[in-house]
Amino acid sequence: MLASLSATAVGVAIVKIAILGAGQVGAPVAEQLALEGHDITVVDRDEERLGQLGERLDIQTVGGHASYPDVLERAGLGAADMVLAVTGVDEVNMVAWHMAETLFHTPTKLARLRAPQYLTHPELFNREAIPVDYIISPEQVVTESIHRLIQHPGALQVVDFAEGRVRLVGVRADRDGPLVGHQLQELGHQMPKVDTRVAAIYRRGEAIIPEGPTVIEEGDEVFFIAAREHIGGVLTSLRGKEETVRGIVIVGGGKIGSSLAQALERSAVQVKLIDNNAERAAQVAGDLKHALVLHGNGADEELLREENIGAMDMFVAVTNDDEANILSSMLAKQMGLQRAVTLINRGAYVDLVQQTGIDVAVSPHQATIGRILAHVRRGDVAMVHSLRRGAAEAIEVLAHGDAATSKVIGRRLDEIGLPRGVTIGAIVRGEQVLVAHRHVVIEPEDHVVLFLVDKRRIPQVEKLFQVGLEFF
Amino acid sequence: MHASNDPAPQGSGSDPQDGSNSVPKSLRVRDLLAPTRVQAGLEASSKKSLLDRIASEFHDDRPDLDERDIFQTLLRREQLGSTALGHGVALPHGRLPDLDHPLGALLRLAEPTDFDAIDEQPVSLVFALLVPDEENEQHLNILARLARMLDDPTFRQELLEAPEEELFDRLVAKDDQLAEP
Repeated sequence: MLASLSATAVGVAIVKIAILGAGQVGAPVAEQLALEGHDITVVDRDEERLGQLGERLDIQTVGGHASYPDVLERAGLGAADMVLAVTGVDEVNMVAWHMAETLFHTPTKLARLRAPQYLTHPELFNREAIPVDYIISPEQVVTESIHRLIQHPGALQVVDFAEGRVRLVGVRADRDGPLVGHQLQELGHQMPKVDTRVAAIYRRGEAIIPEGPTVIEEGDEVFFIAAREHIGGVLTSLRGKEETVRGIVIVGGGKIGSSLAQALERSAVQVKLIDNNAERAAQVAGDLKHALVLHGNGADEELLREENIGAMDMFVAVTNDDEANILSSMLAKQMGLQRAVTLINRGAYVDLVQQTGIDVAVSPHQATIGRILAHVRRGDVAMVHSLRRGAAEAIEVLAHGDAATSKVIGRRLDEIGLPRGVTIGAIVRGEQVLVAHRHVVIEPEDHVVLFLVDKRRIPQVEKLFQVGLEFF
Repeated sequence: MHASNDPAPQGSGSDPQDGSNSVPKSLRVRDLLAPTRVQAGLEASSKKSLLDRIASEFHDDRPDLDERDIFQTLLRREQLGSTALGHGVALPHGRLPDLDHPLGALLRLAEPTDFDAIDEQPVSLVFALLVPDEENEQHLNILARLARMLDDPTFRQELLEAPEEELFDRLVAKDDQLAEP
């Protein structure tokens, strides 16, 4: 009951969630979901860690082995809507899903899995074998999000909807951008071939609701939604120049660094990868055909100078050490590198880094939480991206029903009563992407992509997309 | 708990249209409910466990229906929007492909449980409805009539207080009274 009093919980459908594992993934997820007002029980073998978490958050805790039926019973799995198996051990997570499925009929099961040995066998995870709704793999999500930043240089953030057909892009407006200094309604004249919708503008940290007469100013952080092939055009109109990445430095040859280098092998981008572990450097080098792999310290000024790092276009620091990542990125920026992207695990550091000149801080937690929220939100939600450190949210929701049972189907976008600060950016109908202009009419099974400046509007959006009683 | 006196609940003999393809003039609650699928004093600690119990009620009475399929269809429907009407009443429903005709169950909870209702009131009266894939008009009339009946505070109170063995007759009588002749 306490939860329903908290500011964010008004009208939120309380979901009962059991989180197995209070570690790197479990603890921050528990925190965010508890703050949203959900009913959270965390299970861990480490009583001390559990105690600390329980003291800090409004949650229940259960000590014990996360895959034992009696422990799950005590964690209230019989009543739970969802289980998140996120212990550090893949095998425990897999057995826990199995218990949740067979003994407790848990409706939604998400689990973390790290070993590529399992991940390369998708046939393991179908309904019959190990029924799981989503496999959480922070390393993979982070790798993909950095890869998108490389595809769209100049962007601060790029997230996918509808399997990448539509993207939401955050970008800082530059003085040289031909659109900067103009009203949004002139967008169509300025760029007749490019179709986009500006979903939000942040000016000096404050959200501005974008309307026709709104003028984009230099330094504005602009979030726009467009079909993938139009992103480059919009970026150029806001940045002034067409930016490309020809050379990139990756520091850290772990899971993220090596799979990023791997993905770039197929492109024209020249890659230099630095790792301070000789053995790993040798192994990564063996797996890569074109990339240059160096054994050394990513914060070693001499090494960076020798390799003429300053002439590269992008610096990506993805070791598992936050401090090392921050330090090497700052150094690279000082040496004249255009853009530095830095992996940061600790939430407090993410805020700090914004003042250091590092362009983009990527947090595995922030990148992953959306996939979990997609299963927590009411309605048929295909994707959620948590933005602006959790204050804003972009969601992709399917419209079901018909004109009689749905509040959105059969209506023009300008006839839909959206809460303040909520913008529809695009609609994906099959393969087709429709940018949200006012005359577009929503049809059944449309994927609707919305941007919420304030995520406290979520319950209102959920209600808007709920079907009426007569829907079967 | 009602013990089933009917040795062969398969196909529920009370349906006059059973086996025929012609559309019945007006489907009534008596055509889809059976006393064996009426229960009071049901225990459920959450919406999820309530749906679980509903599925097992149907399965106990009709072992040919897959319990998990029933649970899944009800759950998926709830995910798209709660079927709670407010005032402590819910009408969970869903489609079940292998069903021969619509099937209902009336349940009264021992303790009200949260069902994500608009008025945020926990639910204690539940009428669950399963329909075959091809059904499309009849069940909507039934659903509308159930919603109307249960919107009446006096009748609601009656169902909340009546002894378990009277629930079937009371609901059927009220339905017959409301249904078009």
